[in-house]
Amino acid sequence: MKVKIKRPTGGQVAIAILLLILGILISMQIKSVRQSNELKNLEKARAIELAEQINQLRKENSSLKAHIYELESRIKEYQDSAASISKTTELLKEELDKVKILAGLTDVVGPGIVITLDDSKLPATTNVDPNSFLLHDSDILQVINELRAAGAEAISINDQRVVATTEIRCAGPTISINNTRYSAPYIIKAIGDPKILKNSLMMRGGIIDLLKEFSIEVKIEEASNIVIPRYTGTLKFNFAKIKSEGS
Amino acid sequence: MIVLILALAIGILIGIYIPVSIPQDYSSYIAVGLLAALDSIFGALKSNLKGDFKIDIFISGFVGNTLIAMLFAYLGDRLGIPLYQAAVVAFGVRIFQNFGEMRRKLLLKNKSLTGEEKEND
Repeated sequence: MKVKIKRPTGGQVAIAILLLILGILISMQIKSVRQSNELKNLEKARAIELAEQINQLRKENSSLKAHIYELESRIKEYQDSAASISKTTELLKEELDKVKILAGLTDVVGPGIVITLDDSKLPATTNVDPNSFLLHDSDILQVINELRAAGAEAISINDQRVVATTEIRCAGPTISINNTRYSAPYIIKAIGDPKILKNSLMMRGGIIDLLKEFSIEVKIEEASNIVIPRYTGTLKFNFAKIKSEGS
Repeated sequence: MIVLILALAIGILIGIYIPVSIPQDYSSYIAVGLLAALDSIFGALKSNLKGDFKIDIFISGFVGNTLIAMLFAYLGDRLGIPLYQAAVVAFGVRIFQNFGEMRRKLLLKNKSLTGEEKEND
């Protein structure tokens, strides 16, 4: 391109000014795009970091659980060795074992029944409330209540031991048991006299009849050897204190 | 011509060295505006070659197209339609067309460029 440089005309000045502004805008825009990309990368890195932290905490949690078991077995050893020292402590230990079963602090084994509850498999139809074909916390509560009335000595839902502080509560599409959320199906194990437990559930107009009316899937099996795990949480009492005599 | 390229280069340098950048929210509008401006410049180069360059048309097109393209993009954001894509396609196609015409002119006529001073009277 051959161009003689002479005094620029007004038009050229105007174009030059426009180009100057354009240049400024172009480089500013490039800078801002680069910044936004950096931001996105930062967010990604943060997410990855958080995921790592979760994994870390999970590992820590499981190792701490193992530690708890270890310490507990050591306590048991001390108790055993103490029991062998005298008759009084032996009696005390027997009492302690009984209380532990009652409180759900040990694994227990014995005859009983296994109940499996699941949502209805019927296809949804119009003008029927679909909610009535789903399992609710109230259904499970009624089953548990019935089992207790029939003399169940230990109960677990999906291997969560039912203890004095256990809640069975609707939590959106799940049911919260011992602060852990579970969705259907629910497997309820109960230790007790299998015949009595089963009959009390199956009685006419009883809870199973009611559930079958809504075509909830119910399965009851008797078993001679059910293992029910211990309560894995910690029992803390911040408010309840033992009332001493005379106070 | 040299003055113009110089102006553009100076602008880019200024943009790099001033510690101001475009806020994230307006970034996409600015991008569409820049595309419109680039289209105007290519249009100007083409008409310069053809010899029918008009300064008032260039300036009005440059400013007007840029503003309308930005407005379009903004409106699209408000309405939930990616209207800026329309601007991108339209200006993109135009830029390539202009480029093609310039190429033809340069290759077929094979004339040196002297139209610039003539047109600016």
